[in-house]
Amino acid sequence: MDSAATLLDSGAGTKEMAPRHLGRTAHNMSSSSLRKKSDVALLRKVPCAALRHLLANLQEVLLATKLVLLFPAVILALAARIFHFGQEWVFVLSLIGLIPLAERLSFLTEQVAFYTGPTVGGLLNATFGNVTEVIIALFALHEGKVVVVKCSLLGSILSNMLLVLGTSLFFGGLANLGTEQPYDRMQVDVSTGLLILGVLCHSLPLMLRYAVSSGEHAVVSWDAGLELSRACSVVMLLAYVAYLFFQLKTHHQLFEPQEVEDDGDDLISQDEVVLGFSSAMIWLGVMTLMTAVLSEFVVTTIEAASKSWELSVSFISIILIPIVGNAAEHAGAVIFALKNKLDITLGVSLGSATQISMFVVPLSVLVGWIMGVPMDLDFNLIETGSLLLAILVTTFTLQDGSSHYLKGLLLLFCYVVMAVCFFVLRRRGNGNSDGVHQGVASNTWKI
Amino acid sequence: MEATVVVVEPGRKPQHPADAGGGLHAARHGAHGHSAHARTAHSMSSSSLRKKSDASLLRKVPFAPLRPVLANLQEVFLGTKLAVLFPAVPLAIAAQCAHFGQVWVFALSLLGLIPLAERVSFLTEQIALYTGPTVGGLLNATCGNATELIIALFALMQGKIEVVKCSLLGSVLSNLLLVLGTSLFCGGIVNLRADQPYDRKQSDVSTGLLILGVLCQSLPLMLRYAVGAGEHAVAAATTGLELSRACSIVMLLAYVAYLFFQLKTHSQLFDPQEAEGDGEAEEEPVLGLASGLFWLAFMTVLIAILSEYVVGTIEPTSQSWGLSVSFISIILLPIVGNAAEHAGAIIFALKNKLDITLGVALGSATQISMFVVPLSVIVAWIAGIEMDLDFKLLETVSLFVAVIVTAFTLQDGTSHYLKGIILLLCYIVIGACFFVTRQPSSHANNNGAKLAGPTSTWNAQVA
Repeated sequence: MDSAATLLDSGAGTKEMAPRHLGRTAHNMSSSSLRKKSDVALLRKVPCAALRHLLANLQEVLLATKLVLLFPAVILALAARIFHFGQEWVFVLSLIGLIPLAERLSFLTEQVAFYTGPTVGGLLNATFGNVTEVIIALFALHEGKVVVVKCSLLGSILSNMLLVLGTSLFFGGLANLGTEQPYDRMQVDVSTGLLILGVLCHSLPLMLRYAVSSGEHAVVSWDAGLELSRACSVVMLLAYVAYLFFQLKTHHQLFEPQEVEDDGDDLISQDEVVLGFSSAMIWLGVMTLMTAVLSEFVVTTIEAASKSWELSVSFISIILIPIVGNAAEHAGAVIFALKNKLDITLGVSLGSATQISMFVVPLSVLVGWIMGVPMDLDFNLIETGSLLLAILVTTFTLQDGSSHYLKGLLLLFCYVVMAVCFFVLRRRGNGNSDGVHQGVASNTWKI
Repeated sequence: MEATVVVVEPGRKPQHPADAGGGLHAARHGAHGHSAHARTAHSMSSSSLRKKSDASLLRKVPFAPLRPVLANLQEVFLGTKLAVLFPAVPLAIAAQCAHFGQVWVFALSLLGLIPLAERVSFLTEQIALYTGPTVGGLLNATCGNATELIIALFALMQGKIEVVKCSLLGSVLSNLLLVLGTSLFCGGIVNLRADQPYDRKQSDVSTGLLILGVLCQSLPLMLRYAVGAGEHAVAAATTGLELSRACSIVMLLAYVAYLFFQLKTHSQLFDPQEAEGDGEAEEEPVLGLASGLFWLAFMTVLIAILSEYVVGTIEPTSQSWGLSVSFISIILLPIVGNAAEHAGAIIFALKNKLDITLGVALGSATQISMFVVPLSVIVAWIAGIEMDLDFKLLETVSLFVAVIVTAFTLQDGTSHYLKGIILLLCYIVIGACFFVTRQPSSHANNNGAKLAGPTSTWNAQVA
């Protein structure tokens, strides 16, 4: 009640609430649309007080989301793996199980952020916002499957920028056909600027490889592209740190989510702490562990799934895995677009894309460096070209500050066309080297 | 009096320039309201080349039934300033039949296409006055670039894929850079002190579609290069073709959505600027519906004949003039095919009515890129011809840069002459690039027909 009242008070009230609101990024607000308020009545019937606390805790963590139906998939995936069901089943069930886990992680991160204050909360969000993608990438790196890493991260960026944004703008445009749909350009401009820097860092190693193989330049060693990629990754991380500083310290007023009018939905009243700090940390650990387990299943069964479904590993990594991994954010972004709150939609989709492009990708390169895996920023011609065109389309589409359904449809069509392109690519002929040896075959370096 | 029609206003009898704003709206939503929407920027631009027929001459004709026929003929043939070029049509036909030099046939056919294209636009507009705004808009959307469409179809049927690709690409480049550049330049010079605003929303929609089109053309190109460099493998040598066909379907869907957006849900973004009056006449049909349809069919047949001559004589012309077929297709053909629209766009820019100029130039480019190009691919698919969206590196990158330059230039909502100069210079540079290229020497005499070979060097790692 308190929070709702203070929100309606647009004067001094919000200033006092401001520190707390800084912890609520657009990311959190979008996932919050999938939450439901726990039903406290049930619990009062439980006699033992300590048990009541525990059950309340469990209820809050496990049941307070509309995605709870998908939770059984986690257990089924574990069972399928232990009892050696078909590997495709393990793959599918793990993917489905990742959806509610990702949503719960976002919820738990937000709960922890209440205790740690706005800045650390913002940082937590910035690092854990796409924890599923980070964990999948790290596992794939560990198994040496560099192609899976590159394709899944690229697919995440494309999916956020084109699929999530496209469907949101399209449905939002259809639902609000008569009205203006404004959004704040400043936030968009910052994100697209970073994304273009990211594409530049991807293009340079690619162009280097093509230039060397067509004889325009010579390089000192085989690893020139790898060294260049590692240096660019350091720069990308620096840029991301600067972006965080900009977003959380000096210009945070640009990034505050739109005022959400209280029209009876209990989204805002969720802005409360429902878990203790230690309990939230424990659950965060548990959920991360489960995400790690399922991600490992996904990464190890991907070739079997690709063979049995007759799709290439790159198609599964670029298109299927991100669609599933992003499902919760996707639903949230569409819901907010239907309500004509495009700032939040843009914050979710562009913010995720920026985070993956400027944080997760260079982090993977550096982790690969530490592990001794030759992961570089050269994502191959079609992938890099698609990324560049996707960023251009998104930048041009978003640059005028208002939206309509045709914009969403255009972004969607771009995504469809790219998906078709990756669909028609096969990667047979190299036997089982879909993962491990691709680093060699795709980098035809002539010194 | 009514010697020259510069701009036509939707049916208003009293001419009160001061009334222009309110009166126009009343007229638009009144009895003649429906006809106003049918006048797209495209038809308004061609209308600048029309002249009102001189009715007085006809009254001297004694024989009464002859008079309507002659009035009809006069309206159709003489109601344009381009009427002087009409004799080129029979001359071209005569040259082909009497076997004059093929170069003459080519040049005369090109000249003859100019007035025919303008007349087709006029006739489309006349018919649109009968059919109402939506069908009229659709008619304009499909027939607006009838010349390019017919040339492309003829070249397809003769198997000259290169000519198809080059002529369509050249049309898009010419609309985006040449027409827009000269218009903005001339308009900027003439209106040096005045502000030159235009509505951004319309140009944003068009550039969005153009970027989608460039993406669809880049993917088969990048696919071919990636396969050639060993990065990926494909299941069959025709994978690029399949990808192109799928992309063409998506492009056509996007074009349909764009039409729906433009004609149904957001039509207010696309209404041409208020045309203040300085000596207009009313917008009434001057031809009957049946007569309009008849003349439209007749003109289209003439265009088809001349297009067939053009496509058939392009190689000898290229050899005799020492220019490559791609240069002629990319630069010369579109300049001629677009001449009427070009003149109209410049005239409206001089009057500081940039919305119409942009509607013409960007609208044509969007129509060709998202409708004519994928339509050619689909028609080729039906006819069993292997046309894809891979327009080769130079052409695709030129298109990409042209779209980017245009998008950046138009993004702020006002114009000045330097913008026009920049677009023009881009066009000249691209033209110079194609001027210096020649066809690969291994197909010395096959400037048109057999180029499907070396352009698609598929190291098909068929697995």
